[in-house]
Amino acid sequence: MADFLKISVPGKPEYVSTVRMTVSALANSAGFDIEAIEDIKVAVSEACTNVVRHGVEELNGYEVSCELGDDRLVICVIDHAGGYDVAGYKMPEPDHPKEGGLGIFIIRALMDEVDIFSEIGSGTRIQMVKYTHR
Amino acid sequence: MALQMKHDFSQEAGVWKVRVSGEVDVATAGGLRGLLADLFQEKQSDIVLDMSDLSYIDSTGLGVLIGAYGRMQESGHGIRVEHPRENIAKLLRITSLDRIFCAAEQTE
Repeated sequence: MADFLKISVPGKPEYVSTVRMTVSALANSAGFDIEAIEDIKVAVSEACTNVVRHGVEELNGYEVSCELGDDRLVICVIDHAGGYDVAGYKMPEPDHPKEGGLGIFIIRALMDEVDIFSEIGSGTRIQMVKYTHR
Repeated sequence: MALQMKHDFSQEAGVWKVRVSGEVDVATAGGLRGLLADLFQEKQSDIVLDMSDLSYIDSTGLGVLIGAYGRMQESGHGIRVEHPRENIAKLLRITSLDRIFCAAEQTE
């Protein structure tokens, strides 16, 4: 039986570190090793940063939901900031680094499974999974 | 945890030395962006970032380094990262930014 934890976060940059610390504590109590905890922390933080940087009005918050299963931690970052064209995302090029576009790349590199659902005019949901034994 | 930055110009090495501690994220990256721009404006030379006490950096912080590096490169200067902790070294590796910012350490 999985346990669920949901946090409602104001869309301000200063709360991203609060989410980071909360998720890190959760991953620690779930038995992940230090490297995996760090991966989860960075990935969730990147997902929150995406919300904060790309659209959420200060008054509108977003949600972070965590599902703690027997062998996995599933984290969803859900916003209602209007969505974006997921297919239009361009991978960063190592020889021509740019200031933006690294967040999604980092999330995909650090988590075991990543799904991004975005509906233009509505919002975005980034679902990330990390397994305890991999 | 907030971000703290200390800097001085090393006459001997001819570079800016910046020691960053704490966390660089979407809330604190602006401070780093401002400092790097100010230092480079004051004296155009390479910038060495000592990350011994930096516990966290994200894509916003890396973006700041990329942006500053891009502007400095036009006049032949660059940024070097020293002593990153393992979690930060991993992030630099997966983004291939170690090729730009840690080149000197790798060839030592």
